[in-house]
Amino acid sequence: MKRWTSILCLGLVLGLISFAWGTEKKVVRIWHTETEPATVAAFQQIINDFEKLRPDITVKQEALAWGDLEAKLTAALAAGAPPDASHGQAVTCASFYAKGLLRDQEDIAMAIGRDNIWEAVRRQCFHDGKYYGIPHSAVTSLLIYRKDIFKTKGLKPPETWDEFIKVAEALMERDKDGRVTRYGLSLPGVGLFINIAVGELTKVNGGRLFDPKTGRPTFTSKEVVEVLDFYKKLSATVLPPGWLGHGYLDTFANLATGKAAMLYQGYGRGAGYIERYAPKEMANSDHFGVLVKPRGPSGKETAAQIDAEPWMIFKNAKYPEEAAEFLKFFFKEENYIKYLHTVPIHLLPTLKSVRNNPTYQANEMVRKWKEWQDMQYRYFDTGQAKPTLIIEWDDLKLPFGLEILGSGIIPDMVTDAVRGMPSAQAAGRAQARAEELITKLGHKRW
Amino acid sequence: MKRQVNPEFQPVPSSRTKTPSGNMAEESGAYLWKSSIAKTGPKRRDQLAGYLTISPALLLILALTLYPVAYSIWLSLLEKHSFFPQERFVGLENYIYLWKDPEFWTSLWLGIVYSGWTILFQVVLGVAAALILNETFWGRGLARAIVLFPYMIPTIVAVILWKWLLNDTYGIVNYWLMAIGIIMDPFCWLGADHIMLSVILMSIWQFFPFVLLSILARLQTISPELYEAAKVDGASAFSRFIHITLPQIRGILFVVILLRSIWMFTKFDTVWLMGEGAGAGRFIRTLPVYAYMRTLTYYQAGLGAALAVIMFGILVVTTVIYFRLFREEADIG
Repeated sequence: MKRWTSILCLGLVLGLISFAWGTEKKVVRIWHTETEPATVAAFQQIINDFEKLRPDITVKQEALAWGDLEAKLTAALAAGAPPDASHGQAVTCASFYAKGLLRDQEDIAMAIGRDNIWEAVRRQCFHDGKYYGIPHSAVTSLLIYRKDIFKTKGLKPPETWDEFIKVAEALMERDKDGRVTRYGLSLPGVGLFINIAVGELTKVNGGRLFDPKTGRPTFTSKEVVEVLDFYKKLSATVLPPGWLGHGYLDTFANLATGKAAMLYQGYGRGAGYIERYAPKEMANSDHFGVLVKPRGPSGKETAAQIDAEPWMIFKNAKYPEEAAEFLKFFFKEENYIKYLHTVPIHLLPTLKSVRNNPTYQANEMVRKWKEWQDMQYRYFDTGQAKPTLIIEWDDLKLPFGLEILGSGIIPDMVTDAVRGMPSAQAAGRAQARAEELITKLGHKRW
Repeated sequence: MKRQVNPEFQPVPSSRTKTPSGNMAEESGAYLWKSSIAKTGPKRRDQLAGYLTISPALLLILALTLYPVAYSIWLSLLEKHSFFPQERFVGLENYIYLWKDPEFWTSLWLGIVYSGWTILFQVVLGVAAALILNETFWGRGLARAIVLFPYMIPTIVAVILWKWLLNDTYGIVNYWLMAIGIIMDPFCWLGADHIMLSVILMSIWQFFPFVLLSILARLQTISPELYEAAKVDGASAFSRFIHITLPQIRGILFVVILLRSIWMFTKFDTVWLMGEGAGAGRFIRTLPVYAYMRTLTYYQAGLGAALAVIMFGILVVTTVIYFRLFREEADIG
């Protein structure tokens, strides 16, 4: 009798354990780069709503700093534990696609409507006729300036780099002892932002960073060397002397507190910083406007960088299918608009239907900073906006963008130049390093 | 004449060395030789039991310490992408590459500059502060607690705090220096020219409490009678420090300098967070930062591992030299 009771108890315990095991929730890990507390809260609200519909799934979000994302993703991949879905740069998506790490997102595209995805961002991670990443939102870099001072001084919008430097010099201010109290321009000295700026400046100067046929770096080309000359001039005239040590947020602090008159690498979220940190009577688009970015001596048209991280889903993650289900839910208009409204000028909708949705348009900030939003649409609609390090869309076929972005070769090239090395020599040094890296990675085709 | 006994046949003072007759004092070489052979079995069994009992700890050490080191060495012989599974054996090619790589030499030099200055000033400041806090004065308890604060706060908080203080456009350090007339124009603490100075200052501030704590603990164990006797003999404060304090703390100083040297030479978080490896951060791209970048931003795991192995080698060689130079202190420490 005793023996049978023991066996029964053991069976009951095993049954309970296996039941608990079987009904264990699936934990979907999502990494993103929208660290704004309001965005994190809105995203969590979407997660909560999703979990009510799918009680078998738990979604865990992690908001990471933009500059850290690639290194953290790589570490997670190396450890064999990638998140189920994550934001990434377009070059990151391209590299991961080339390495066969991504799950395609055709089902998500179908769910939200293939034609409903905004043409301007469709190619962020679109390979061999399939979506491998759909951007969570879109934004371009902006040239932000102090409109009030600009008007007072009777300046004209600069069209070329030379004119830009003259305008920046005119916007500078000095005290009676000759000390600069307001610099003409503020730029971030962080590696990622130097990469972004070099790509963008090369584009406005009519150049390429890589040969489209062979992928060989073209850092020693006239157009890139002119970019370095431009950096040298900016550094010597209108930038704060310690700009190489400034972070992205420092540049906004400089603008909002009147320490700098212009930002070349501003973004829509800056409107929020200005509203928070600038004097109240100045926190509007009458004081902080946006200008079309000037072209270089060898360029013909303007350009800007797209910041529109595609969602990537990792094939080898634990729950890729569940992550896809969540993303379909995320892109439902009623959820998506909540997310976009947390940073309205920075998170422009990926879906065309949302752009025209009255609920989306009924936002105070959108109305207040419409000039900023319009400038971004201008870059998108004219095809002048491209992702980081991408001059033309076919650059995304190059499988080594991620490694070049992370290596620091381009920021070092700029640092060498602004620290006194002749531009051609700095470019030559970077060219040799980039060629060596691409060769070592096994992608040499020249 | 005293009989010479082969040490191998020395009697062991235990029941096992008893002769069949029970005479413990018997020292016959022939008997001991026989006895030794006869008792080999049980001895081996004891040894085996000993090995078995320590084997879990040994396995743990092997798994957690030696395996990663051995794997790093193996990885350094490969050309391997950080997350892509393909790899190729290249022998010493990574080391040869680094030998010719100017970035490596620059990183090594920057690492030596950073660790050298920070260790020197941590020790000087730590010892000085420990001497002060060893004296009796009002509020000593509070002062001891406050002085430990930098060592207790997380590195990320310390770095954000210092970056904010040292910012050249809105930082309070420049504001005060200009207000009291020490500088006329804002000093670019975080710019390319001075970021090394800033990270050294920050590291001294953050880590000197460790030296202080260690030295203070030793100072509190020195007998006050030694100082009283020296005072009676007319020794000055400096003389007391040289002839009493320094000899007493040299053992702990030896250990502290060794540990801080290892920790500062391999310091990653503070340096990385201050500069992030690019822009002005390039000028504090020390060897650990460069190893990190090669592994996780260039995605060259083999080269990253080679850099880690080189760092390990440098530390081993330096530690051996250090032990040889300060053999006496090592014994005390």
